[in-house]
Amino acid sequence: PDSTLASHPGVIRPPMHEWIRKLLYQDLCKSNTEKILRHMRKLDWDDPEISSYAVKCLTFAWNVKYYNIRCLANLLAGLMSYQEMVGPMVADGVLEDIRLGLEVNSPKMNQRRVSMMKYLGELYNYRLIESSVVFKVLYMLLAFGNGGPSEEGNRFGELDPPDHLFRLKLVCVLLETCGQYFNSGAAKKKLDCFFIYFQRYYMAKKEDPIWSDADHSPFPIMVKYMVQDTISALRPKLTLFSTLQEADAAVHKLEEELLLKALEVLPALKRKMKPTDDLSLAVISEEEDYADQ
Amino acid sequence: GSGRKEKLRASRKVVVRRLPPTMTQEDFLQQVSPLPENDYFCFVKADMTYGTHAYTRAYINFFRQEDMITFWETFDGYVFVDQKGHEYPAVIELAPFQKVPRARNRKKDGK
Repeated sequence: PDSTLASHPGVIRPPMHEWIRKLLYQDLCKSNTEKILRHMRKLDWDDPEISSYAVKCLTFAWNVKYYNIRCLANLLAGLMSYQEMVGPMVADGVLEDIRLGLEVNSPKMNQRRVSMMKYLGELYNYRLIESSVVFKVLYMLLAFGNGGPSEEGNRFGELDPPDHLFRLKLVCVLLETCGQYFNSGAAKKKLDCFFIYFQRYYMAKKEDPIWSDADHSPFPIMVKYMVQDTISALRPKLTLFSTLQEADAAVHKLEEELLLKALEVLPALKRKMKPTDDLSLAVISEEEDYADQ
Repeated sequence: GSGRKEKLRASRKVVVRRLPPTMTQEDFLQQVSPLPENDYFCFVKADMTYGTHAYTRAYINFFRQEDMITFWETFDGYVFVDQKGHEYPAVIELAPFQKVPRARNRKKDGK
């Protein structure tokens, strides 16, 4: 359903707005992307009102049928050759929507959030964003509003209670869309690392005591299959952790290795460390910055 | 490739989030004036489908990182007020997507 229409019944739009919406939300499909691109190029991009409306429509991928979201990314990639500013503006808009979705965390937004995650993956596939942006979002999905690794027993904040499983869905949608390209070089290593953290997040959800409460349903088997299928499609040989304890130990080991590597590159780091410091997250972002490409 | 250069260059693009939904670009520029030298400024209207969570936002790519830090220190948490007196503390963050369009050399589309 079109949420924009639903919330503004009887809305009357200027003809040019209706035209852009018709092109993108009704007509666009795989077979006519070139034709729609020609129409989109003909818009008066020098008119700030029209160009900002077009950028908005190009950003709101949830108004497009799910299987046509990839066409929207394809169209955007084509349009970038003529209107370079639309790429960054749409990428900024999609990332803001993903972020706001985490902050608002309303079930009413779920389908929209799935569409935007799919769109982000397609933006990567069409080379509008780099893998580093995809990984930023993946880690944000695990970490936003949640306690750090040192806060054992208090892992999930109020924006992501233990029985909210929607972020697992979002991670899987993003990886199903573009994960197959993270299969060599730095991107491969980054995905391998991410899977350790992702499994820990998943196991922490799955092993939460809430699922064994008498008045609570058990952990949904479909979510278990979704996570397992997503990981095994991308890393068929990977043996999944079977307990949270195992996953915690793997994260701990990974962070120690990263810390040692970081100290090789930046010996000065040691002087800044207190024995109790948990530098793991800072170290990982360093690692990401230097290991890419 | 160019990706590596991109990474090593310091981040200079910030997003100013959670601004009042009715704010205009002119209001914003007036309130943060003088905006330090920058090569990209973009003000985005609120998405009203978000209801009570609709906000405007602004992207700025500063020339100098020092300017970015000063701006950040001044306006992160700064309370913007709309016409009705509602308060909107701004949140400034590094933009997750650091690229900006190349300045003003876009070729004219012959269509």
